[in-house]
Amino acid sequence: MAAKDDFIVEMSDIDKSFPAVHAVDGGQFTLRKGEIHSLIGENGAGKSTMMKMLYGLYRPDGGVIKINGKVMENLTPSISISEGIGMVHQEFMLVNDLTVLENVILGFEPKKGVKIDFEESRSKINHYVETYHMDIQPDKRIDQISVGEAQRVEIIKTLYRGANVLILDEPTAVLTPQECTKFFEILQELRNDGKSIVFISHKLNEVMDISDRITVMRNGKYIATVNKEDTNTTQLAKMMVGREVFLSIEKEKGNIGAPILELKDIWTSGEKELSKIRGVSFDVCAGEIVGIAGVDGNGQSELIEAIAGLRKVEKGQVILDGQDITNYTPLQARQAGLTHIPEDRNLRGLNRALSIEENLVAWRFEEKPYAKGINRNKKEIRKFAERLIEKFDIRPADPTVITQSLSGGNAQKIVVAREVDADGKLLIASQPSRGVDIGAIESIRKILNTVKKEGKGILLVSADLEEVLALSDRIVVMYEGKIMGIVDSEDATTDNVGLLMLGERPDDEEKEVS
Amino acid sequence: MNDVFNITLIYATIRSATPILFAALCATVTQQADILNIGTEGIMLTSAFVAVLTSFTTGSWLLAIVLAIVSGIAIALIMAVANIKYNAHICAAGIAVNMFALAITKFGLKQFLGTAGTFTSPEIKEIPRIHIAALDNIPILNDIFNNWCVTEVFGIVMVVILWFLLFKTVWGLRVRCVGRLPMAAETAGISVRRMKYEVMIISGVLGGLAGAHLSLGYSQMFADNITNGRGFMGVAAMNFGGMNPIFVWLGTLIFGFIDSVGARLQAYGLPSQFILMLPYFFTITILVLAMWRKGRLSEKAKSAL
Amino acid sequence: MTEKKNNRYVTLLLTLLLSMVVGAIFMFALGFKPFEAYVQLFKGAFLGKVNLGTTLQKFVPVLLTGVGFAVASKVGCFNAGIEGELYLGAITAAWAGHYLPKMPAPIHILICLVLAMIVGALWAAIPAILKVKWDVNEICVCILSTYIAKYFTSWLCNGPLSAKTGMPQTPAVHENIMLTQIMKPSQANTGLFLAVIIVVAVIWLLYRSTLGYKFLTVGLNSSHADYMGINSKKVVIQGMMLSGALGGIAGTIEVLGVYGYFLDNFSLNIANDGMLSSMIVWNDIRLVPLMSFFVAALKSGALSMERFAGVPRSIVDTITAIFIIFATMETLFNLKKKKKKEKVTTVSSEEGGKK
Repeated sequence: MAAKDDFIVEMSDIDKSFPAVHAVDGGQFTLRKGEIHSLIGENGAGKSTMMKMLYGLYRPDGGVIKINGKVMENLTPSISISEGIGMVHQEFMLVNDLTVLENVILGFEPKKGVKIDFEESRSKINHYVETYHMDIQPDKRIDQISVGEAQRVEIIKTLYRGANVLILDEPTAVLTPQECTKFFEILQELRNDGKSIVFISHKLNEVMDISDRITVMRNGKYIATVNKEDTNTTQLAKMMVGREVFLSIEKEKGNIGAPILELKDIWTSGEKELSKIRGVSFDVCAGEIVGIAGVDGNGQSELIEAIAGLRKVEKGQVILDGQDITNYTPLQARQAGLTHIPEDRNLRGLNRALSIEENLVAWRFEEKPYAKGINRNKKEIRKFAERLIEKFDIRPADPTVITQSLSGGNAQKIVVAREVDADGKLLIASQPSRGVDIGAIESIRKILNTVKKEGKGILLVSADLEEVLALSDRIVVMYEGKIMGIVDSEDATTDNVGLLMLGERPDDEEKEVS
Repeated sequence: MNDVFNITLIYATIRSATPILFAALCATVTQQADILNIGTEGIMLTSAFVAVLTSFTTGSWLLAIVLAIVSGIAIALIMAVANIKYNAHICAAGIAVNMFALAITKFGLKQFLGTAGTFTSPEIKEIPRIHIAALDNIPILNDIFNNWCVTEVFGIVMVVILWFLLFKTVWGLRVRCVGRLPMAAETAGISVRRMKYEVMIISGVLGGLAGAHLSLGYSQMFADNITNGRGFMGVAAMNFGGMNPIFVWLGTLIFGFIDSVGARLQAYGLPSQFILMLPYFFTITILVLAMWRKGRLSEKAKSAL
Repeated sequence: MTEKKNNRYVTLLLTLLLSMVVGAIFMFALGFKPFEAYVQLFKGAFLGKVNLGTTLQKFVPVLLTGVGFAVASKVGCFNAGIEGELYLGAITAAWAGHYLPKMPAPIHILICLVLAMIVGALWAAIPAILKVKWDVNEICVCILSTYIAKYFTSWLCNGPLSAKTGMPQTPAVHENIMLTQIMKPSQANTGLFLAVIIVVAVIWLLYRSTLGYKFLTVGLNSSHADYMGINSKKVVIQGMMLSGALGGIAGTIEVLGVYGYFLDNFSLNIANDGMLSSMIVWNDIRLVPLMSFFVAALKSGALSMERFAGVPRSIVDTITAIFIIFATMETLFNLKKKKKKEKVTTVSSEEGGKK
């Protein structure tokens, strides 16, 4: 029954709907033994959904999935695993309270009597550690290890389960450029051992670096599968977006004025050991975009929360336009002129169960004319919402629509509209283009530049180094809760910023990167 | 104060603690899978009634325990199906089964035992006590260790069993994973639903033992709402012990101690209402202290200073 | 939106039918006549002035405690302690009604109400504060503190506030502040109108005021609320306090409208019925009045069912409990028809239009 083309995985005419969206519509995908096959597309193109169906997490509404030539119906993760499929999810599936070892063996625990046989697990894991030179510490708890190590744990986990096919969902998002190079070496080693790899990404350079074949998806639909030799990044970008893309906006140097935000020796708590902020100081000036670069989880979120009044500043001062706003409540900080696009729009940015208008008016609902005493004035709220919807081109242009049903881009525009319209002195933009389509990215970046030209300060945080480089006038690089360096945009390259993100200064470049 | 704090207080503490201990273990095992078992009270109440009914009609305490466990599982399964299959909020489901237990035991008391309020009879066969003749003449050991109820001994055994199950076996590892990051379990090919059902069934067993012990070991009767919040005290003890059976047990001993001391204080002329209030007051206090400590520890762990 | 609303009614009706059928099977299995029982239940609840009056009298506390529970649920709390707030409110009203000097009735009633509301609100604030400060489960605290409230009031009416008549009760309140009976000889009273006005006010507060918006937004997503500058902890406490105040009002109306004094252990879990009425309608405050009327009718009809059909009264509680178990199952009646999708035959690759 082995298929003629030696396909280890074949997915054809796959169809999948969720209550609000038609996620995959006619999806096609094939995988050969010993190849690296990239699956690319914009956010929401259906890449992850496709692969989650292959892994048995979602059940397709229609279509055929074949693994090793066998038609698989009613796939579940455990069947997929037994067929040799392994997946490293974008959000790591590691339990914080448990040790690395316990996480790896989960579901496939060797037993001694009724007890777990930890000795045997350990030796099995060591085998993979040695074969692929992936350093992990089996006895540490997950909340004590770095993101990079967590990723290695995830890969060993799939190998331990006997995977021949590794699905990697946006694996490079948490790596520095230098770590990426190292990571790709491991992938090639795995391929040379006969493993097949599915590499989900939207970073075209990386895709061109590593892939044998590339499949493009857009809006849930299958677009094409091409060999790497037959294509280039421009063509891929066009297939991904459906039109020509000009993301790089001319960077205009604004009139940089006096400091708007001054951080003086900030110390604040962290969700993980490595994300505690210890002694951070820098300024953001009027008419300037300062970008924070760093691998996710190095304290960026904690720092922003501390500035915005959402996390206690344990030591140090936050000064906004001369006013000490240290440990202000979020409302006080807003009133002092701080506006904030939060990193997670679904958790903080929006109340997804409420309508567009309620979300737009969310922080001024008690002000006149939106309320008279405690009586809400729905008419004025409606008028206000309609104005912002038009100004920021939010679709659908119906203020009563519940935000849950909006696309990522339009949902983010609501947050941007609310914060930009608040007309503060400083705008914190945390991951402003995470999970939105290219069109929205373009308009959000334009808006940020307009705000900058109006003479406001912008503090930009992004996990996407390209974005930080494209927008910022100065770049602050964070590593393990400290500042590794501040680089002017003229001097900044992926190389030198990438090194700083690794916690190494460019001058000790010779050191081995791990 | 010699008639309050004397050697018999040790056994009195164990005696008062045991019903709560079983309830606490019932809540512990589900909490490990991230299911807040508000329905502990209902499981316990129902099985307490079934135990008395069975013991009274068949004269077998063992059969009574078995059927109490079966009824405990039944109530736990109602909650499990509501929550896991039909998406009910676990607290809502818990409150619902508590009301159900209250109503159906009241109804059962009237229907099958023909009385309202309280039922007691010499024909209720109670859970036997372990009499060790050799201890009869050794003063202190006799007071402490002799004549324990079978289920009181078993309660302590159960603490060890549950601890082993949760922290040393594959099943326990999986349960803890389901409770902390269900997606990690799901992607490891473990059925989260199945694990949750299993956990609920075990909690039904433990809750059933709690009820049977309450009505056949701790006392020999059934009354409307005989549990009187003991299920919730169990939940509090679970929080106190941070889901670890050993610490949970220590928590229930504190409750047992307060309860026994309170009972002895009655002789000192305190209004009975205050004595009755005591366990509830201390339960809340201990619960708050436990959560306060937990918050402090996590705050400390997160602090950068 | 309307479609969703309609679905709710249909689901509610189906749930009701299902529980009645389960109840009927249950009764049948035990050798009762379910049909006759239901007929007697209906008669006992609605037919005749006394029966209807009793239903209305029982309706008032169930309504207030039900709305109280629903209010707390709006900020994400299960206020399982309304019974305690009701007791404390009741004894406060009984104290103010007897011990305060004589004054014009409306003012005196108002003082009783306000004091009871304050006491109820403060009592409810305890679990709320513990919840927001240290993440202590509010259901546990509510249930446990209700026992404390019960024993405390029991001590008061047996000790310091006892009427010394040999009964565990407080002295009677002034005659002139007793609420007027409206359907004699039943105990229905003008507290009914008071309750309705209060409930309307609460509904207005929740759906039209800034406070209601805060409740709503905190209950739906408290991290969003915090980020927007709404202090979610404060709002949770406010929500619980409003809930407790409603419990206090329920207690006041019981004292001033029905008993005229505080009687030890008088309520017999009225607040449970309120909680149940609210939970059955998924804490949708606009449906609570309907459901609490239904539950009150069941309660008042149960007596004649027992008398005339020989079915124990407690079976009604059992059936309502079954009702609520079914009602908590959100997806029991999934009315949304699964969208039947035609298989997409042509995949045009260039036209990646939105669905």
